[in-house]
Amino acid sequence: MMKDDEQQDFGLHCQKVSHCFGKTKVLYDLNLKVKAGQFVSLIGPSGCGKSTLLRAILGTHPPNEGQILTIQNGELISADRPGRDRGIVYQKYSLYPFLTALDNVALGLKLDQTTTLFRMFNWSGWAKKRKAFRDRAAVFLKKVGLGHAMHMYPNQMSGGMQQRVAIAQALIMEPEIILLDEPFGALDEATREELQEMLLLLYQENQDAISKSQKPPYTLIIVTHELNEAIRVGDRLIGLSQYWNWEEAGHDSPPGATVVYDKQAPIFRPDERPNYESFEDIRKEIRRYVYNPNILQSRNEHLKN
Amino acid sequence: MISRPISRTKQVVLSALSVLLLLVGYTWISHRQHQVNPDDTTIPSWSQLAEGAVKFTQLDRKGKRWLVEDSFATGKRLAAGISLGVVFGFIIGMSMGCVPTLEAFLQPPISLLAKVPQTAALAVYFVFFGTGMEMYVAMIAFGIIPALAVTVYLAIKDIPSAMLDKAYTLGASHFEIAFEVVFKQVLPKFIDAVRLCIGPAIVFLIAAEMVVGDVGFGYRIRLQFKLTNMNVVYPYLVFLAGFGFLLDHILRLLQAKMCPWYQSDSK
Repeated sequence: MMKDDEQQDFGLHCQKVSHCFGKTKVLYDLNLKVKAGQFVSLIGPSGCGKSTLLRAILGTHPPNEGQILTIQNGELISADRPGRDRGIVYQKYSLYPFLTALDNVALGLKLDQTTTLFRMFNWSGWAKKRKAFRDRAAVFLKKVGLGHAMHMYPNQMSGGMQQRVAIAQALIMEPEIILLDEPFGALDEATREELQEMLLLLYQENQDAISKSQKPPYTLIIVTHELNEAIRVGDRLIGLSQYWNWEEAGHDSPPGATVVYDKQAPIFRPDERPNYESFEDIRKEIRRYVYNPNILQSRNEHLKN
Repeated sequence: MISRPISRTKQVVLSALSVLLLLVGYTWISHRQHQVNPDDTTIPSWSQLAEGAVKFTQLDRKGKRWLVEDSFATGKRLAAGISLGVVFGFIIGMSMGCVPTLEAFLQPPISLLAKVPQTAALAVYFVFFGTGMEMYVAMIAFGIIPALAVTVYLAIKDIPSAMLDKAYTLGASHFEIAFEVVFKQVLPKFIDAVRLCIGPAIVFLIAAEMVVGDVGFGYRIRLQFKLTNMNVVYPYLVFLAGFGFLLDHILRLLQAKMCPWYQSDSK
């Protein structure tokens, strides 16, 4: 059992996670501790296993070796199947086309807190609950700026609106951690920035909670290939890369990607216009140590967390 | 231009015109035929058709009204056959889509059944189910089950796995995934498939009635055709078409009612 203050802080632990598909080695000895309230930007060259790691954390594809721990009802559990303690926002197919925005967001409460038998046989009880769930869903839709679109179906909404609903859908479960898999990858630049601002609003709620010494409500891992987005939204940058000095570590062949970069990122207020030019130093560093296949440094050189 | 929409009035006028042309064309062909042979019954004139209408709406020698008798018999068989086929087609499709073991188990018989022409297999049904109600029901049900099951199965395979994984993160049980996510997603496509199955179901039934029926649309059409009473046969064909049309329309309304999201997709 953990101590209380430790539990307060606990977000997610990846311990010695390795994964391969047949002979293709993807992840190697990956260790990662995410604390509650962190917004982690996960970046890395294509093919470095970001998606593999995300699926492992989600639990749909558990890793071959090592374990991933999350917390559920105060108990440490192994994340070997998807569960309500880890939310996910995909780039596509995040919403259920047969439900309105409101019911899409309320779906999690319905599935989690009532059973099919209850819904079928206790009509008045279910009607009451459904009303409560929808009221709560409305609160979350307003939080993501969609108070006006509650009764629209996904196919009537723009891509940006759909992703907002998807985020509200994950938020309403109040999971320990929310995974965002290239959530804004299909959106245009302006919409992207608006949605980044929305995430920064959530980050601000975290900081407010911390200043009142409460547990911060949102913990995020956001996978993105857009470095500016990673730097702006995240408060921590994790670089995953297959390009590190594995020969020095005694391997004959590339053992797979691991965490080679782990640093704080500057923190922005939601209303602050980011000056992307000022990101140049960080971008350069990341390109050099995470993305460049010709620069193989020791894997621990850029871990500052 | 291709697929440029036309105005509503234009649409109505054109539809009316096509029906009118059909009627005028028929009248003309019938008139020409009667000039050659005034006693002709193969292409009955409008007055002969009226006589036919009297024949199938009045009591016959046995004190029965053909149209009522036949509609009742055929309707009952069709309703029972389609209901049974719909229920089993859906259950089989859902099981194949959701449970890989059942998928492997059910795939061969379903694809085999789908390839056998039902009308050719009539004799098999007579052997196994006799010539009563059971035979009609079995024939229709087995005839439409493969298409329905395959539609459901493919629709389920079409659902992105991300959608199912996501439901688990929202606290769904396996059953809830099947019922709340898969079922609701598949429903409109299933209704579409049922609509498409009405035609074949009627074909199977009429074929069987023609061979062994003693009442029903197929029986009546065959009998009256032998007597070259085309003034009964043609109206009966129109009734069958109208019946299929009505059923189709009801299913379309049902789909719009149950799956408003799907409707808005095709608009």
